Amino acid sequence: MNGAELVLKVLQQQGVDTIFGYPGGAIMPIYDAIYASPVKHYLCRHEQGGAFSAIGYARSSGKVGVCLATSGPGATNLITSLADAMLDSVPLVAITGQVSQAVMGTDAFQEIDVLGLSLSVTKHSFMVRSADELAATLNEAFAIARSGRPGPVLVDIPKDVQLAAVSETEVSVQPRQRPINTSLAQSTKARQLIANANKPMAYIGGGVHMAGAMPQLQDFLAQCPMPSVTTLKGMGSVAKDNPYYLGMLGMHGTQAANIAVQQCDLLICLGARFDDRVTGNLQKFAPKAKVIHVDIDPAEINKVRFAQVSFLGDMQQILPAISSSTNCSDWLAHCSSLKQQHGWRYDHPGERIYAPLMLKQLSERMPDNSVVCCDVGQHQMWVAQHMRFSHPRNHLSSGGLGTMGFGLPAAIGAKLARPQDTVIAVSGDGSFMMNVQELGTIKRFRLPVKIVIIDNQRLGMVKQWQQLFFDERYSETDLSDNPDFVALAAAFAIPGHCITRKDEVEGALEAMFTWPGPYLLHVRIDEKDNVWPLVPPGAANEDMILESN
Amino acid sequence: MNHILTITTNNEASVVERLLQVTRYRGYQLAGLELTPLSDMAGLSITLTVSSDKPIHLLTSQLHKLYDVRDLQLVSADIAALRA
Ligand SMILES: Cc1ncc(C[n+]2csc(CCOP(=O)(O)OP(=O)(O)O)c2C)c(N)n1
Repeated sequence: MNGAELVLKVLQQQGVDTIFGYPGGAIMPIYDAIYASPVKHYLCRHEQGGAFSAIGYARSSGKVGVCLATSGPGATNLITSLADAMLDSVPLVAITGQVSQAVMGTDAFQEIDVLGLSLSVTKHSFMVRSADELAATLNEAFAIARSGRPGPVLVDIPKDVQLAAVSETEVSVQPRQRPINTSLAQSTKARQLIANANKPMAYIGGGVHMAGAMPQLQDFLAQCPMPSVTTLKGMGSVAKDNPYYLGMLGMHGTQAANIAVQQCDLLICLGARFDDRVTGNLQKFAPKAKVIHVDIDPAEINKVRFAQVSFLGDMQQILPAISSSTNCSDWLAHCSSLKQQHGWRYDHPGERIYAPLMLKQLSERMPDNSVVCCDVGQHQMWVAQHMRFSHPRNHLSSGGLGTMGFGLPAAIGAKLARPQDTVIAVSGDGSFMMNVQELGTIKRFRLPVKIVIIDNQRLGMVKQWQQLFFDERYSETDLSDNPDFVALAAAFAIPGHCITRKDEVEGALEAMFTWPGPYLLHVRIDEKDNVWPLVPPGAANEDMILESN
Repeated sequence: MNHILTITTNNEASVVERLLQVTRYRGYQLAGLELTPLSDMAGLSITLTVSSDKPIHLLTSQLHKLYDVRDLQLVSADIAALRA
């Protein structure tokens, strides 16, 4: 057995059956081992796409995603996806081939200092210097990726290590793990704060479901009735029928969520991090609120907002420990009426398709456990505003990095992780073109992914900012020479259809869902449509710009 | 204001780069760096002096997360001055 075969063996021992990647010189021994391995490799058409597929796989399943790339350009192509996984705390193991140690440090062909490049975009990274360390290092990489606050880990393996002979002895390694100590010392104080609050509010991020604490969250909200809001990554955390759930907060949050958070007197932050897209002007964010902050990452506590009470560790233990009955019926009634008063309106005039309404129709029509993968821009915010999800694993959106090109490859990963579930990629005409080559992957593996392109012939989100904050100087945001998307799909043997009018939507969705294979629905909308509400930069969250302004 | 950190790390080739990368990215200036291998050569003893007006916990909490950091103690600048 050689090092490369050992890599595949360790992957199997880790329970990995699906990997994404692209071959090249320095990783050829591993690709040779893949040839005979039961681990199924999915060839992407760009390493960034492969790594996004691994992220989609990980985020939709909760498992660790695995991607492979060769040295030099293969590895540099991974960087954006690693950064995406870093900012969204996605468990990912990236394996890169490296030139042989004999030539390392000589600017050899396709040699680049991948370890150096990885420092700011991974949770940790390794260079494997000897085949004896290979199994232990890979096991350690998996343990790091999934432990604590999950994240991407890169393992760079020189070609000579891949080719070196190794003994077949079973490798069982106990990776160094920092135990998670959950301290409940402050729980009495937290319960008192909750019991005494007049206006408590739960602010829920992606950390809750990543901790496997969805049931504990529902219990918490049932035992301590209070309104709740979620971040982009927390969407789907609160049961759909919870009457006091106000939607997403922040820059494009709902009016009810933003107004109520600004008014609350106790903010219970669960697995979220006071990101600037959430808080708006930090100094003016939830100005009357005391804060209880629960997270697994100590560095998030008091990073941007001081917490009167904080808990570190396992959300599953912490939520029951801080449960306390609340005494806030007036506040609940107030929040319900905010929700009623500021509900979405879909009575958009004219024949043209109104994307929020179309997405609401899509949301109502899609099978219950569908996974929706977004790209970045206006359409991403419309998805967050107008679609409902039963679990955060069903809504994959590039949150922290906001990476255009995320949606299509993430959908490929999600479809492979959950073949029984419907997977829909909702993309913009700009974002779609950023990883359009992955249509080749869909074609090859006949993956029945549904693609919805919301086409405003613009880089819409940037155009909206130019309109509002740059004097309508539309610099480089016109995409009116887009390709014919239906014809483009046809080139990959993917059928499609283009619609422009509201009355075509229902029929088109029906056709898309009934078709058994992959399908592309090209939805043309008015380039003037914008995302509302919007909290302008520097403003407090209650100072939202609304459509009528 | 100067802050002095004494850090014990694994003796990995990239560990000093990682400390310096986090220090720079989080907005602290390097004011001193000393490094000695531990007697078993498996670890490093590092004294890192940084200066910034930001609270030092914003840096220490991030450095603590580095996988190769085994131990990290903050020696306040004043105490260090007294000892000198
Ligand atoms: C890789 C990358 N480059 C640039 C941006 C900046 N950016 C954010 S939204 C956006 C426009 C996206 O256009 P489109 O995909 O058509 O979506 P729309 O906003 O029109 O719905 C751009 C350029 C980004 N987020 N990611």
